[in-house]
Amino acid sequence: MTLAATDPEEITAVPEEETVSAAPPARAHWFRRLLRDRAAALALVTLVLIILAAILAPWLAPFNPAENSRSIMTPPAWTAGGEPQHLLGTDGQGRDILSRLLYGSRLTLLIGFVAVGIGGAVGSLIGLLSAFYPRLDPWVMRGVDILLSFPAILLGLALVAVMGQGIVPVIIALAVSSVPDCARIARGIAVGVMKQEFIEAGRAVGLSDLHLFNRYLLRNCISSIMIFISLRFGQIVLIGATLSFLGLGARPPASELGMMASQGREFLLFAPHIAVIPSVLIFVIVLSANVAGDALRDVLDPRLQA
Amino acid sequence: MLRTIIDRLLLSIPVLLGVLLFGFLLLQLVPGDPARVVAGPTATPEVVAQIREEMGLDRPVLIQFWAYLERMAVGDMGRSMISNKAVTAELGAAVGPTVELMLASLVWSVPVGIAMGTLAAVLRGSLADRVVMGLSVAGVSLPIFFISLLLIQYLGVVWPIFPFIGRPGPWYTADGFMALFLPALSLGLILIGPVARMTRSSVLEVLKLDHVRTARAKGLSELHVVLKHGLRNALIPVVTLIGLQAGYLLGGAVVTETIFSWPGLGRLVVGAILSSDFTVAQGAVLLFALGFITINLIIDILYSILDPRVRK
Repeated sequence: MTLAATDPEEITAVPEEETVSAAPPARAHWFRRLLRDRAAALALVTLVLIILAAILAPWLAPFNPAENSRSIMTPPAWTAGGEPQHLLGTDGQGRDILSRLLYGSRLTLLIGFVAVGIGGAVGSLIGLLSAFYPRLDPWVMRGVDILLSFPAILLGLALVAVMGQGIVPVIIALAVSSVPDCARIARGIAVGVMKQEFIEAGRAVGLSDLHLFNRYLLRNCISSIMIFISLRFGQIVLIGATLSFLGLGARPPASELGMMASQGREFLLFAPHIAVIPSVLIFVIVLSANVAGDALRDVLDPRLQA
Repeated sequence: MLRTIIDRLLLSIPVLLGVLLFGFLLLQLVPGDPARVVAGPTATPEVVAQIREEMGLDRPVLIQFWAYLERMAVGDMGRSMISNKAVTAELGAAVGPTVELMLASLVWSVPVGIAMGTLAAVLRGSLADRVVMGLSVAGVSLPIFFISLLLIQYLGVVWPIFPFIGRPGPWYTADGFMALFLPALSLGLILIGPVARMTRSSVLEVLKLDHVRTARAKGLSELHVVLKHGLRNALIPVVTLIGLQAGYLLGGAVVTETIFSWPGLGRLVVGAILSSDFTVAQGAVLLFALGFITINLIIDILYSILDPRVRK
């Protein structure tokens, strides 16, 4: 994701002091400023490490995540009764928790990325079109308001009720529920760009709508929109994991963090680590995403600062 | 005043239609034959055909939609495919516990969140501010099932203070009150973060305004300034936030109810989905959506009472 305006054409198109509302003047230094916030830097590093570990799961995982072993409900290696080969212990079926955790975060993160990606793309397109064609605007925004009145988890429940449990309905529900937010954000940013003189100039020299939309509107909005949409990632991951916890999302034998926590529920009394470890990992992922996101928003748009 | 309320009521009609259309489309979107889904996998072809006729699935879609609206208007949502009880009866039995749980969690978490947020705003930049803000980000990031499991583990098992399974009675009975404690505690915990954050930024905003400076200049005590002139005005956006969080609260209630075996709508809908009881699931989803719309309607009206400026 290239966030800074590196494309020379883009820079000429939007002079620095006239950038849209989402992009403050000192945009080029945003990353350095972000890293100066120690909590945000730590959150970013944590998030990157977890994503890397998830990607490298097949190489990092010491065991097959679906393989049962004879040691059942072994506690983590550093506690009494732990076994050194199972660093984080084993679950109720004797599966290695560390391996399941690596594969599980893969699926959890993937669900989040795909949902935010689809929802963000569709939502941004709606928002951009709505800003580009003012005649559409009131209709589109009313529709968005109606959609906004459906909480994500409700949408998830409804879709799962129709399509059956599985990852696909969960992704669709999460994506659909990000559409209204993203549409509003994209519209807000795009309306600012549409007021710029170069849009009028483009119209005056007779550029086609498609060309104007692609070259001038989209290119000037895309990075700001992407940043704002990435702020949603934490919440989306949390809702996705929650749906899987309820047994509505990922299904065995796949490993997913919310599902792992839910499977650990039965053993809470004698082997709490089975439920606690995946829950803590979800917490760390969502917390890092939220902390990094908040800091990013503060750096990019000081007016929104809480 | 009345005008605002009427306008707002009229505005919710398209939303209501949207929700009903959504509920209707749910049935249309079922992969395969809706009549077959409603009849269940073991039904004979004759039964399926009969259901198709009953549901009017052989008629044009628009007429079907009208018939559906008519049925909804008289509160006919069909029968549960598992228990064969009327869906409305099943829903009716579950509404009370859910409302009770939500109110119980709001009652303690909203004041706590407002107090934390105000404290953080007044002591801006201090350690207390940072602790409150840190806690509220953590609160927003905590999976609610994790909170519930921890509460069960520590307040239910290790120190068996509170029961954590089911609802023996309504809240005003001794047993019911104790049983309500842990679910309301975990559901409320997820609300504190957003409320505290919103209160903080809203109070900060208001404290910058002229009338607060005037109040200070008059020599009023800082406590009086913050509470009377600051917080009172700052609460308006917080009230709106609680409306926006209603969806979040509903989602949380689904999880809490499932974990604590609380006999409310959330547990009903999850159970219905897991057992393919399609009619109950559809009814519960619709009822949830209606509840969400109603909460936002009430919040909007409340908003116009709190803020005379929007009454025009």
